[in-house]
Amino acid sequence: MRVRNWAVAGFVVFMLASIMYAQFGRRGRGDEEDVPIPADANEATEFVFTRLRYPSYRGGSGMWGVRGSWSTDYPSADRHFMQGVRRLTRLHVRSLENVVDLDGDEIFNYPFIYGVEVGHWDLTDAQCKKLREYLLRGGFLMVDDFHGSFEWEVFLASLSRVFPDRPVLDLDSKDHIFHVLYDIDQKVQVPGMVMFYTGRTYEQDGVDPKWAGVVDDKGRVMVGICHNMDLGDSWEHADLPRYPEKYTSLGYRIGINYIIYSMTH
Amino acid sequence: MFELLFSYPARIFSKGDIVFLGAAPLWALGIAIGAAAAGLGLLIMRRTSLPMARRATIWTLQSLLAALLLTLLWQPALRVSSLKPQQNVVAVMVDDSHSMTTVEGSSTRLDQARQTLDSGLLQKLSDRFQVRLYRAGSGIERVAKTADLKGQQVATRLGDSLKQAAGEAATLPVGAVVLLSDGADNSGGIDADSLAEVRRLRIPVHTIGFGREKFDKDLELTQVELPARTLNGARLSAQVSFRQNGYANRKARLVARSDGKTIANREVLLKADGRTQTETLLFAAGNPGPRTIEVSVEGLDGEENAKNNSLRRLVTVETNKPRVLYFEGEPRWDYKFIRRAFEEDKSVELVSLLRTTPNKVYRQGVANPTELEDGFPAKAEELLAFQGLIIGGVEASYFTPTQQEAIKMFVDRRGGGVLFLGGRAGLADGGYNASQFTEILPVALPDRKNTFHRDPANTELTPAGRDNLITRLDDSPDKNAEIWKKLPYLANFQELGTPKPGAVVLAEALPTSKGRLPLLVTQNFGRGRVAVLATAGTWRWRMLNDHADTKHATFWQQMLRWLVLDTPSRLSVSTPKTVLSDESQAPLRAELRDKTYLPVSDALVEARMTGPDGITITVPMEPDPLNEGVYNANWTADKPGSYLAEVTARRGDEDLGKDLVNFRREDGVAENFGLEQNRELLEKLSSETGGHYYKPAEINKLIEEITFSEAGITVRETRDLWNMPIVFLLILLLRGAEWFLRRNWGAV
Repeated sequence: MRVRNWAVAGFVVFMLASIMYAQFGRRGRGDEEDVPIPADANEATEFVFTRLRYPSYRGGSGMWGVRGSWSTDYPSADRHFMQGVRRLTRLHVRSLENVVDLDGDEIFNYPFIYGVEVGHWDLTDAQCKKLREYLLRGGFLMVDDFHGSFEWEVFLASLSRVFPDRPVLDLDSKDHIFHVLYDIDQKVQVPGMVMFYTGRTYEQDGVDPKWAGVVDDKGRVMVGICHNMDLGDSWEHADLPRYPEKYTSLGYRIGINYIIYSMTH
Repeated sequence: MFELLFSYPARIFSKGDIVFLGAAPLWALGIAIGAAAAGLGLLIMRRTSLPMARRATIWTLQSLLAALLLTLLWQPALRVSSLKPQQNVVAVMVDDSHSMTTVEGSSTRLDQARQTLDSGLLQKLSDRFQVRLYRAGSGIERVAKTADLKGQQVATRLGDSLKQAAGEAATLPVGAVVLLSDGADNSGGIDADSLAEVRRLRIPVHTIGFGREKFDKDLELTQVELPARTLNGARLSAQVSFRQNGYANRKARLVARSDGKTIANREVLLKADGRTQTETLLFAAGNPGPRTIEVSVEGLDGEENAKNNSLRRLVTVETNKPRVLYFEGEPRWDYKFIRRAFEEDKSVELVSLLRTTPNKVYRQGVANPTELEDGFPAKAEELLAFQGLIIGGVEASYFTPTQQEAIKMFVDRRGGGVLFLGGRAGLADGGYNASQFTEILPVALPDRKNTFHRDPANTELTPAGRDNLITRLDDSPDKNAEIWKKLPYLANFQELGTPKPGAVVLAEALPTSKGRLPLLVTQNFGRGRVAVLATAGTWRWRMLNDHADTKHATFWQQMLRWLVLDTPSRLSVSTPKTVLSDESQAPLRAELRDKTYLPVSDALVEARMTGPDGITITVPMEPDPLNEGVYNANWTADKPGSYLAEVTARRGDEDLGKDLVNFRREDGVAENFGLEQNRELLEKLSSETGGHYYKPAEINKLIEEITFSEAGITVRETRDLWNMPIVFLLILLLRGAEWFLRRNWGAV
């Protein structure tokens, strides 16, 4: 009986630790340890690439129910991408990324935030309210790297609580967001690293890339949705010889356009 | 008392000259007095029985007496000019305006004036002079008797009336003017020209004042300042001035109505009696077109004159939107949020150029696909087409010398508004010190780099900024100052250096170190305006406030309107008053410039005047010989109602521009204002012309003193002064004092 109690307690502790790891554990671990801190990391700049930290959805079925979190590709994708932004634009960008959540007011200091794997986010009502307020004040959310119908539904489950009254719209190719710096007329699906294992550019049942958004009363995109693509991998693996240049190039152009759009509209 | 001692009134002394009629020269009097004093000194000083101080006192008294007696021997007299009896005209002008029908006690002011004239003044004047009786209103008109005075003149213009009287003096020997009035002049006082004309003829104007100098309970609107033009969708700020008696510390309502509909309404606390109080009233301008704005103060009971509580003004809301060019050197958050603020504003068009990469410029708000496709305008004409300009964080060297010259010309010659923003590549850090911007900037920038800091800074308004059109986030200056203190901190700030003389600092930045720094500074330069805002971090006012908060947008919209509101078009027409209260003269002034905004003086400029009856008359506007590019015309609005002046300018076949100005004539209004006796004006008029102000009870003095004048046909009179009672009194005093002292000292 005593052994059984210890076993149950051990199992509970393991499960709690797993949850904690899933939520917060990868910050300060894993990839970050492999990526050196840039020398000018503390430079005060106009723009700071800011990642949204959110609680993950762990329901659902099959293997897709447990993958992904806010820290996917962190921080290599962020730092690689910022080097590209520095080189390709006049934007004064910090080399070191930043992370904010929806529990405090720090988010309001960063009018652009990037959410990854949002097919697994699960926002509380308070977080939905905070995100809505952030976006209505003029903040911009870019979401990326979530795939297929299941993750879309999970994404919408929280987004529809952020904006119950605003639909998700498909973005037309003529939208300013695709022309603000680069004219992105030929859009293709930007695959993640999984392409090397599956041989496909899509994941799950997300065959077609979806360029969507939630707009404000004046038609300005507040939430830029990049579904069925993995721009984060195209940034992170820009220096990986076997990752095709055409995807990296497109990924950078899309990312830069979204940032410039968020600073002009 | 003066007259009792000196035989004549003091004013006669001031008009006349003191002369000595004795045969001996005046210098001999000085010698005689000196000799008498010396002789007395020798005699008195030898009497050693008295102490020195007492001998000196006696010597002084005796010397003074000797001097007085010797002076009398030289026969002092007063020489003064006086009007020859029956050979001069005295013009008696009675204010016959509506304000004179105000009841004072049991009779009107006009009744009192009539009574003053009929009870002896006219007769006594007629005994000595030819008297001409006039009614005064907008001018003067001769009347036969006082019964012809009806108090029906719609306005009082004392200056014009006096000028007319001076005109008559050219053909008549007018020796003096007597004006019976309450001083309620509707033209705001007597102009210098009219006064100079009367003074040149040396005609003394004697005034007799009627009416109370202060009402017990009354509030009067004295001024409503509103721009004649404004932008569509803009908010207007009316500066409302009023003065009251009997309602100190009471509350009243300040109300603005447009076409009968209330558009603003706020409570004001009335300050001390008799003091002019100025309050601000903000309201939306309304739809395009001419708008009649009526501002009134309401909610006071028992006023003695309730007709002076409201004033009307005409404001033309423009249909065309001024265009502002915003050039930003790099992507910045402020760029986005400034654009958003402008998108809420219907009154302006914002065209922006953003340098996204070293070689790419992103355009927003352009009129067509080719506009500004090569970036910042290379030609001055292209830039001068805009009304306002914002230069964001961009280094001065980005602009060619021609472009820098064009920016300077944009302010100086074109009359546009320019706003410079802080930034890592702006102002001192952007090399503006070594550019042509130095001249137009309202600050002397620091002569060093690294002046831009990405550190937080709070903001505070200066006294000048508490009630300024750009920085006003609340009608109350105190609340406004508090709001600014509580704004979220700026994301960054820049050291601006020293404000230039004439510049106005509206707001200051308060970083955690470095003390207080100028943040928002403005100044006029040439025909235009320049402002500098030493930050690119106002976006935090948007992101750190609730999404419904409008402070950030309001500030930027007001900033923008300040840039463009007074920017003239190539042809701009104006008239000094948009509402003519009981007056008919509407001077029109047009200023014409070419494409590079140089004055044009050889154009055909015409005003098509449309009056209230719908009839259109074309009036040529004449070039002003003293002001290049300025054309003038005078229009007489002979009927009450609305008038439209549509001014066009042509040179040959070239159309140089068109502009409109609206104005209204309203009758029966002016005489409701300024009903208290304006004694100050009457006294000033008298003293400036050598006359005197009298109360109705003092007319006997007037009859006596009116004789002394240098106008008309005069004779020089000499009046002895030796027999003045003061002389004998002095002799007695001097002798009596000596006797009294000697008695006390036991020296008698």
